[in-house]
Amino acid sequence: MAATNAANSSGQGGEGEKEGVDTLKVRDAKDVEQAVREAVASEQPLEIIGHGSKRLIGQPMATNAVLDLSALSSVTSYEPNELIVTVQAGAPLADVQSLIDSKNQQFAFEPVNTAALLGTPELGTIGGMIGAGLAGPRRIKAGGARDHLLGANAVSGFGDSFKAGGKVVKNVTGYDLCKLLAGSWGTLAVMTEVTLKVMPRPESERTLVLRGLDAIVANRAMTAALGSPFDVSGAAHLPNSALRSEACGLGAGREALTLLRLEGITVSAAHRAAALAEVLAPFGSAQILDDAASAQAWSSIRDVIPFAASGALGGSPVWRIVCPPATGGALGEQLARDTGGEVIYDWGGGLIWAALPSTPDAQAGLVRQRVEAAFGHATLIRAPEQVRRNVDVFHPQPGGLADLSERVRLSFDPKTILNRGRLTRGLAA
Amino acid sequence: MAIMMPASDSAVLDRREAIVAALRAIVPGEGVIDSAAEMLPYESDALTAYRQPPMVVVLPDTTEQVSKVLKYCFEQGIKVVPRGSGTSLSGGALPLADAVLLGLGKFKRIREIDFDNRVVVTEPGVTNLAISQAVAHAGFYYAPDPSSQIACSIGGNVAENSGGVHCLKYGMTTNNVLGCEIVLMTGEILRIGGKAAENSGYDLMGIITGSEGLLGVITEVTVRILQKPETARALMVGFAEVEAAGECVARIIGAGIIPGGMEMMDKPAIHAAEAFVHAGYPLDVEALLIIELDGPGVEVDELIGRVEAIAQGCGSTTCQISNSEGERNLFWAGRKAAFPAVGRISPDYLCMDGTIPRGALPKALARIRDLSKKYNLAVANVFHAGDGNLHPLILYDANKPGEMERAEAFGADILRVCVEFGGVLTGEHGVGIEKRDLMGEMFSEIDLNQQQRLKCAFDPRGLLNPGKVFPTLHRCAELGRVHVHGGKLAFPDLPRF
Repeated sequence: MAATNAANSSGQGGEGEKEGVDTLKVRDAKDVEQAVREAVASEQPLEIIGHGSKRLIGQPMATNAVLDLSALSSVTSYEPNELIVTVQAGAPLADVQSLIDSKNQQFAFEPVNTAALLGTPELGTIGGMIGAGLAGPRRIKAGGARDHLLGANAVSGFGDSFKAGGKVVKNVTGYDLCKLLAGSWGTLAVMTEVTLKVMPRPESERTLVLRGLDAIVANRAMTAALGSPFDVSGAAHLPNSALRSEACGLGAGREALTLLRLEGITVSAAHRAAALAEVLAPFGSAQILDDAASAQAWSSIRDVIPFAASGALGGSPVWRIVCPPATGGALGEQLARDTGGEVIYDWGGGLIWAALPSTPDAQAGLVRQRVEAAFGHATLIRAPEQVRRNVDVFHPQPGGLADLSERVRLSFDPKTILNRGRLTRGLAA
Repeated sequence: MAIMMPASDSAVLDRREAIVAALRAIVPGEGVIDSAAEMLPYESDALTAYRQPPMVVVLPDTTEQVSKVLKYCFEQGIKVVPRGSGTSLSGGALPLADAVLLGLGKFKRIREIDFDNRVVVTEPGVTNLAISQAVAHAGFYYAPDPSSQIACSIGGNVAENSGGVHCLKYGMTTNNVLGCEIVLMTGEILRIGGKAAENSGYDLMGIITGSEGLLGVITEVTVRILQKPETARALMVGFAEVEAAGECVARIIGAGIIPGGMEMMDKPAIHAAEAFVHAGYPLDVEALLIIELDGPGVEVDELIGRVEAIAQGCGSTTCQISNSEGERNLFWAGRKAAFPAVGRISPDYLCMDGTIPRGALPKALARIRDLSKKYNLAVANVFHAGDGNLHPLILYDANKPGEMERAEAFGADILRVCVEFGGVLTGEHGVGIEKRDLMGEMFSEIDLNQQQRLKCAFDPRGLLNPGKVFPTLHRCAELGRVHVHGGKLAFPDLPRF
């Protein structure tokens, strides 16, 4: 293990490099165990990072040492015919994606690349991908990161390595701890190696584009598409006003776009695109995008390019809202109207990205009230540190559920050593 | 009984009358059963080799009643064993002599069908198949389809994270549930998730799914429903060698094809099934694959051709392709009847449930054949080939002294082979009591302690379904201790700035 001072290290994630912060660059799981044990003994909480590409997300933490996993970067095994890949947690996501791409496979949940949204370098590790658990458009069909994490080796806040899950796609042996690790933002354990399910990359894709619908009608069109037998793998809506950013890869038009994606073998994708166009005829006539154009559109939606840090809305705080899909249109339209902000919709209306005008609390009070009324929850995914310090970044849970979540967290990390305070405001104190 | 269950608490048994009376005050009328004769149906689940009458059976029909029963038992230190339809193959619902058996059979109502959000909100006692039937008129279905789907309850499916023949493509229960109402052992009622794709905070729904009734009692479930594929066709392909069949499975996946179902049977299973249902299975092959492709007609027709070519390339000796629903169902009839078919040729059988990496299939089957000789017991293998889930059926006669013990030892050895080849103890049936004492083959004490600490977060007194899943029970206080390792710095040699 190499220990360096942050002032000397090449900080990769932008913000968050504090003066006088120790960075422990671990070489293996044993190093992680020792570092955590030492942190427990000295009661010094650790910030867990891979490339640090998502350090701008979450409550500002009360940590004064960094555990850097980026040297745990190797691929342990890749078996395309078993549909699994086992990699160390610090492996660069881009490298692993090219590896599986070489066998025409992919992570079916389309991990979100937050670089453009946050204005950070194009980096990110497998551990960060799982810890954040941010899934893209195909979540409606393929599930999220939690559905693709089959197994993990991790070090708990006790400083002990433990195993969760296995290395096969079908397994019900013991509690499914992987589900908890995915999306836990490094607050339960330090993953050192993970086994992920990979899936064949579709041979072809087609995207139907409807133009000029308002959010409510677009929501209805997406609901009709997702209720059809055509196996829609993406359903998004971009109101015209959200398209003011030029570099969104969605054409320079000024009309709202509603997009529906179909993937599979070529003959099937084409057939279903035509059949779905007929079902959606009452909503207008659809233009059809083929493979490359379709892929470009969905990568823009996945990575929330209309709200990119470098774009016209780059200064606005951004919320990620998850709600029952059929009510997303009404919720998003209301939020946009009441705040004068911009929203885009994915997951058939079940995911709303909202870029709202800056206020000291990033409109948290209003957002949470509206979102809860719609049975959803909201995460403040982008905001200056000062704002994040003063609002709950992750959606507060009702009392009993919050208490249970806290007991679950303590069962992994009783001394609150790992990413102290990242999920819960007040815990950092 | 080979498996030791937790010792009965005589102080609880001594209070039985008072406990029955207290439960009657919570659940009036016929909801409390305490006569030996009436409790008989509850003394085992589908792992019928193990039987134990409970202290008392309670069948609440509201969440409030469930909450009050659990709160009472928590305060009184009484163990509780939850039960759905009692179809567990791993003994998950096996009663304890000093425990209340909490049956959810009265929770039989589907509460809401929401086609716009593509979900069904249901009580836990509703059967798996009933959910699909309730939405079939609109072309929808609930994807996970365990073979007991006509009888098994959705609550039990969540507890066991049930699979089925279609889970390679459509996922297991955990990939198809969105939320639940759960009552903790303390009586606290919580709602987790709902109609949204993800819940906030830690994925508690994910940890509850497959927790085998050890974390809480589910009183409502929200499941995703899907549109039925336009069509489905199947191929039935025979091979002279198991290796060739295994290679065929690997090449299909390697070609980027994820079939709706991909099942394999070995020769003894083929013969037993054919004798039972006369599906027209070839009897001179060593392995039979049933491969189902579903989706739009144009896609299915194209993929049937691709799979047929792959099978030929792997040296298939027979290949039939279904041209009608009748034919497709006939292909499946033998596979679906494999368990009862084996039941016809043997007085008793044990059904194992390990998972292995697909590629290890031929050598796993070879090892199972060796073990079959060693234990002098016949075995028939059916296999969810697509996801590596192996179901060896060990044939034995419980009336012959020592044969059941031999069969269990054989089964345990098979599961050890699964772990040795990089697989796991159970793919879909659960650990329960059946595989409990084998957990150490797969998990270290540290691994198991972490799992048990999680249990403590839900059930600090360890009263809910004790004796299942974990070979050794620990007190929560003892598990929670942090051992500071001497308090010394771990890296004294490192420069610090």
